[in-house]
Amino acid sequence: MSGDRGSPGVGRDASGYAAALAGLPGMGPALLVSILRRWTPEEAWRRVCDGSIPRPGKRGSAGQAAAGQAAAGQIAWEPEGVPAARGAKRPWSALASRIDPPGWWPRFAAAGIGVTWPGDPFYPAALVEDPQPPGVLFWRGSLDSLRRPCVAIVGTRRATPDGRAVAYEMARDLADAGICVVSGLALGIDGAAHSGALSATGGPQPSGGTGGDGTGAAPGVTVGVAASGVDVPYPRQHGALWERVARAGAVVSENLPGRPAQAWRFPSRNRLIAGLARMVVVVESHFHGGSLITAEAAIARGIDVRVVPGPVRSPASAGSNQLLYDGPGPVRDAQDVLDGLGIYRSGGAGLPGRGAGGGRAGGGTAAGRPEMLSPAERTVIEALGWRSTTLGEIAERTSLGLAAAMRALDELSARGLVEQHGAWWARRRSG
Amino acid sequence: MLATVSSATLIGVEGRPITVEVHVSGGLPSFTIVGLPDASCRESRDRVRAAILSSDLQWPQHRVTVNLAPTGVRKGGAALDLPIAVALLAASGQVGAGAVAGMAFLGELGLDGSIRKVQGALPLVDAVTAPCVVVPASCAAEAALVRPRAVRCAPSLRCLVAVLRGEEGWPAPPTAASEPEDDTGPDLADVRGQPLGRFAVEVAAAGGHHLLLVGPPGAGKTMLAERLPGLLPFLGTDQALEVSRIHSAAGIPLPPGALVRRPPFRSPHHSSSLVSLIGGGGPHMRPGELSCAHHGVLFLDEMGEFPSDVLDTLRQPLEEGRVLVCRARASVVFPARVLLVAAMNPCPCGSDGRPGSCRCRGAVRARYISRVSGPLLDRFDLRVAVDRPDAEDLLPGGAAAAGEATESVARRVAAARTLARGRGVACNARLPAPTLDAAAPLTPGARRVLELHLRQGRLSARGVHRVHRVARTVADLSGREAPVTEDDVYAAIAMRADVFPPQEVAV
Repeated sequence: MSGDRGSPGVGRDASGYAAALAGLPGMGPALLVSILRRWTPEEAWRRVCDGSIPRPGKRGSAGQAAAGQAAAGQIAWEPEGVPAARGAKRPWSALASRIDPPGWWPRFAAAGIGVTWPGDPFYPAALVEDPQPPGVLFWRGSLDSLRRPCVAIVGTRRATPDGRAVAYEMARDLADAGICVVSGLALGIDGAAHSGALSATGGPQPSGGTGGDGTGAAPGVTVGVAASGVDVPYPRQHGALWERVARAGAVVSENLPGRPAQAWRFPSRNRLIAGLARMVVVVESHFHGGSLITAEAAIARGIDVRVVPGPVRSPASAGSNQLLYDGPGPVRDAQDVLDGLGIYRSGGAGLPGRGAGGGRAGGGTAAGRPEMLSPAERTVIEALGWRSTTLGEIAERTSLGLAAAMRALDELSARGLVEQHGAWWARRRSG
Repeated sequence: MLATVSSATLIGVEGRPITVEVHVSGGLPSFTIVGLPDASCRESRDRVRAAILSSDLQWPQHRVTVNLAPTGVRKGGAALDLPIAVALLAASGQVGAGAVAGMAFLGELGLDGSIRKVQGALPLVDAVTAPCVVVPASCAAEAALVRPRAVRCAPSLRCLVAVLRGEEGWPAPPTAASEPEDDTGPDLADVRGQPLGRFAVEVAAAGGHHLLLVGPPGAGKTMLAERLPGLLPFLGTDQALEVSRIHSAAGIPLPPGALVRRPPFRSPHHSSSLVSLIGGGGPHMRPGELSCAHHGVLFLDEMGEFPSDVLDTLRQPLEEGRVLVCRARASVVFPARVLLVAAMNPCPCGSDGRPGSCRCRGAVRARYISRVSGPLLDRFDLRVAVDRPDAEDLLPGGAAAAGEATESVARRVAAARTLARGRGVACNARLPAPTLDAAAPLTPGARRVLELHLRQGRLSARGVHRVHRVARTVADLSGREAPVTEDDVYAAIAMRADVFPPQEVAV
C-alpha cells in the first residue's frame, strides 16, 4: 500500500475508540452515528466511561438488535471478561472500564484492518448523506476504490450459468471502463461479478490510485461488502476471492472483526451495498431473493436500479423479472449501464459486444457465423434457445435422432456456440 | 429302538443333507432334540406331538432323543417336523423300519397332522441323496424341477402313514396350473415422449448396461424402469433353474409350474438394510434382494435416499456377479448377476435440475449427491436425465403418439443379444476390455470422436471403454454387425451425461 490515505496507517488511536464504541452491547448504527457526529471517538469513549452517555433502554428496536448482536458474537477482539449474556444488563460505564481501546488499534493494524466513522476523512462520501449510515466501517484493502463511480451488481446465490456469465462479463466490462463494481461476496452472481471485475485488464486510473497488487488485477476495480467481520470469509469457498478483492479493492463491513455471518446481518449489509453505489443492477433473483432487498434499499435512497431481463420461465429470474415489470428499466450489458450513468468513454471506442459478432464476449470468430452451420446444427440451435434444455427435449423438438442431435451439439460446443452444464444444454451469448 | 431317515436343511441357497435319528428307550417320558436346532426347530416337538395325536397315532410314553446329524451344522426351519415325526413312528414301531429305508422327508406339520409348505424346497430336494423324497403337496412342482422321478407327496401325516404301512398307494401330485405365457407386464407403449429415456431402457436391456435415470418427481423414471424387464428375453433353462432356486430359498412365491422364466424385477425400498440387500442374517443366511434379482433387474428407486454404506456394498457384487457373505459359522456364495437400474432426483428439493431452478441449500444438495459415491456412479454405463413430459402430451387426445410397444422393442433386444452371444458373452456390458477392439471395431470417424473426447478430458480412459461397449450395443440394436460408426458413438455419449455437475464457485 503506497498511499497513506485510505490505508490503515499508524497513530490512529481514535480507531480503537471507534471500534470499542461499536462493540458495546446495545449500540446500534443510528445511536453511534449521532454520538460520533457530536464528539470525537476519544471524547465519546470518555463520556461512556463516566456515564454521561448512558446505555439506551428498551425503546429502540435498533438497541434490541444490537443487544442480540452482543449476546451472539463476542469473539476475538473483545477483551476477556466481558460476559456476553450478563453484560447485556450492565451499564456501559461498568463494561467500558474493563476495555482498553488504545490497545485495539495495533491489533487492527497488524491484521491490515482499517476503521472509519462519520466525521473521519476516510469515511466514504456516498454514505455521509445516507439515511441509515453505518456508525463505523471496517475495511481491508483501500477505500480509494470508492472514489470511482460505483455500480452494484447483485443477484441470487443459486444462479444459472447464463446469469453468472452475464454478471461476469458486465463486471469485467464496467471495470475496464473505470467503474468500481460493488457486490456482496456471496456465491452465484456476487462471486461472478467480483471475479469479472478482477479479470479486467485496466481502464482509467482514479487520481491518486495505488499501485498494482501483484495479482494482475487492476487496482480499484471492485469492493466487497461483507455481512461478517472483514476477517471472517463467508462463504468459506470464497476465501480466496476475499483475498483477491481485498488486494485489488477493498472488503468492507460495519460489523466488528471476528463477528460471524448471521442471517439477520444480511439485510443491513444489503442497504450498505445500495448506499455505496450510484446504480444497482440486479442480474438474477428468485422470487423472494435478498437482492430484491438491495433494490428496495436503493429505490428508497433514490439510487437508480436496473434489471437484466431473464427468461420468463426461469425460476432464477422470477424476482428480477417481477422487479423489471414493476418499473426499473432493463439493461443488457455494461454499455447500457454506462449509458444510464451518463458515462461516455473517451476515444469513442465503445465496449465490445453489441452487434459486432461478440468481440471478447466469446466465440465471435468466423466459425460462429450462422451461415457456416450445417442444417442439423442450425435446427438444433434454433430448437435450443436460451433456456437450459436436456438432450431428450432437443431430440423431441427437432425430430433429429439422438445421435445426430448429440453430434450437432458437440460441434456447436466446440465452436463455443452452446454450453453444457451437466445434462443441460443452452446457447451461449454472442452466438 | 432306533430309527433313521434323511432330510435337509437350508443354508443360503443350498441345501445340506441331514440325518434325523430318533432313539426311544425306557426311562421317564421325555423328548429332547440335540444337534444345534434353532428356535423354530426346537418348537417342532410340540407340533410333532400334536400332529401324531391328531392322526390317531401313539405318542410313546418313553424317553425320546432326537439327534440331527451332522451335529456341527446349525439347523433351522420347520422342514424337519416331518422327518422327526416319521422317524419317531418308525422308532416306536408304528411304521415298519423297512418302509422308511432309503427315503427322505421334508415338511412342516400342522397340529391337525396336515403337511405344510416349506421354504426352499427346491434346493432342499436337490441336496438329499435318498432315491425317494416325500415333500408337501404344495411343493411338489418345484421339487419336481430337480428330481422329477424321486418326488412323492402327501397331504397329511395320516395319509403318509397309511402309504408307508402299505394300506394305500402314493397320492397323485397336484397338477400344475398352466403357466400364463407372454405376460410381459406393463407395456412400453404407455410411455409418452421421453425419446432419450426410452432408448436408454432399450440399450440397457440389449447390452446389460447399468442404467441411472435422473429426473424430477413425476418425470416417469419408475414407469420406464418397470418396463425394462418386459424387454428382456425369457430366461434359458439353466438360468431359470438358478433363479427358481434362489426364489425358493428366499420364500418368494414361484409362478405356477414353479420355473421362473421371466427375468425377475426387484425394487427394494430405500429403508432396506444392508443385510436384506446383500444376503445373510440368521443361521440359514437368506439371499438378499440383490440375489433375488439374479438374471433380472434390481431397481433402486430414490437411490439418493439409500444410506451410502448400503449403496457402496453393491459395488463389488456388480463387478463379480456374485456375493460372498461370510459369518463366523458359515460363508455362503450368492449369485448376483443383475442389471442395476437406479432412479434419483437431481436434488432433494425436487426441482427439475435445470441450472438455477434448485431451491436447496448447497450443503443439503451436496449431502444428497454424495450418498452416491463416484465409484458407484462409474458403474452406470448409461446416465440420462429424464424431463417431465409436457402436460399436453399426457391429456387424452394429446399430441404425442403412443410410443413403440414392448413387443417390437423386445424383438430388437433379442436380436442384439443374439449378436452378443456370438462374441462369447451374454451381453455387451461384459465384453472384456482387451477384446473390445476385436469385438467392436470402430470406423475411423468413430475413433476420431472418441479420441477428441478423451483428449479434451470429457471422457476418462475407463469412460472410453464404457462408451465403446454402449456404442456396440447401439450398433447391434440397429441390426448391424459391421464396425461401430460415429453415430453409434455419439448416441452412447449422449447417454453418459454428467448428471450431477458440481455447483460452480467463483474464484
